[in-house]
Amino acid sequence: MTFKTMAAIGLLAGALCNSAYARPVSYPGGWTSMISNNGSNNAVHIHYSPTAKYSLGVRSQYNRDKEFWFNGVQVNNLIKRWNKPDLQANFYLKSGAGVTRSNYGDYDGKTAGTFFTGIAFDWEDRRFFTSYENTYFDAGDIDDHYTQSARVGVAPYIGDYGDLHTWMMVQVDHEPEAEHPVTVTPLVRMFKDVHLVEAGLSNRGEVTLNWVIRY
Amino acid sequence: MKKLTLLTLSLVTLSAPAMAASSAMINVNGLVCDFCARALEKVFGKQEAVSDIDVNLDTKIITVNFKDGQNLSDDALTALITDSGYNVEGISRDE
Repeated sequence: MTFKTMAAIGLLAGALCNSAYARPVSYPGGWTSMISNNGSNNAVHIHYSPTAKYSLGVRSQYNRDKEFWFNGVQVNNLIKRWNKPDLQANFYLKSGAGVTRSNYGDYDGKTAGTFFTGIAFDWEDRRFFTSYENTYFDAGDIDDHYTQSARVGVAPYIGDYGDLHTWMMVQVDHEPEAEHPVTVTPLVRMFKDVHLVEAGLSNRGEVTLNWVIRY
Repeated sequence: MKKLTLLTLSLVTLSAPAMAASSAMINVNGLVCDFCARALEKVFGKQEAVSDIDVNLDTKIITVNFKDGQNLSDDALTALITDSGYNVEGISRDE
């Protein structure tokens, strides 16, 4: 699959789509498209992993609440991985930089240099899953905010290699400065082959829809 | 005499056992996620010597099947797994 095709898929699905909670670093030479949609953000992140230790990619994200559009580059680093016979855990650093353009009120049409950074941690075996991540986002006068979120999940059945795998999960998002600082989203994760899809509905009636493809 | 030599060579060739395909069983740590283990298919799929692989998430064993007469050393297999982000516990062979 060519880069143009992958970019087209990402842009088309951008109409859907912050974090998709799949691992942000793939295998050496692997491409990944991560498209995510939640109550306030639509985002697409396409990255390439030269090694299993880091990935380089582009990110485009629209914040519907604050009405700004971010476009930039993102680097994900696998700081540490723990491989055990029946479990795996990972610690990542995710950072990026780019430009934000606002469509909101007095800031309409204004642009600002932007950076963001955060850490992510996940732990899973074949039955249970848990993760945590945070992000500090700074777009100068347009916006700056801190968010953190955590997930727990359980697989209702243990699938074999190649089966459709299903997880029932609950995600809690916390944005201290938001009007509603805490959002709880029960969701279903399913994956088969190179596709991972997540769908959920928050306690405030907001839809989460994520899609990850590995090439 | 020339005909006899050719006949002998032909018989030797026909009677020689075909080079059998072999496989390697790799016990891998961290193999808990089907979606992530798919990466190993991609990695091994790029190897000329590899016919296909089979992943068993229950036993945490990856079986690498080689093309006829081809193989990869234990060091090469270990490097491929490690570079993909997993750890190798052990390798056994089925010749």
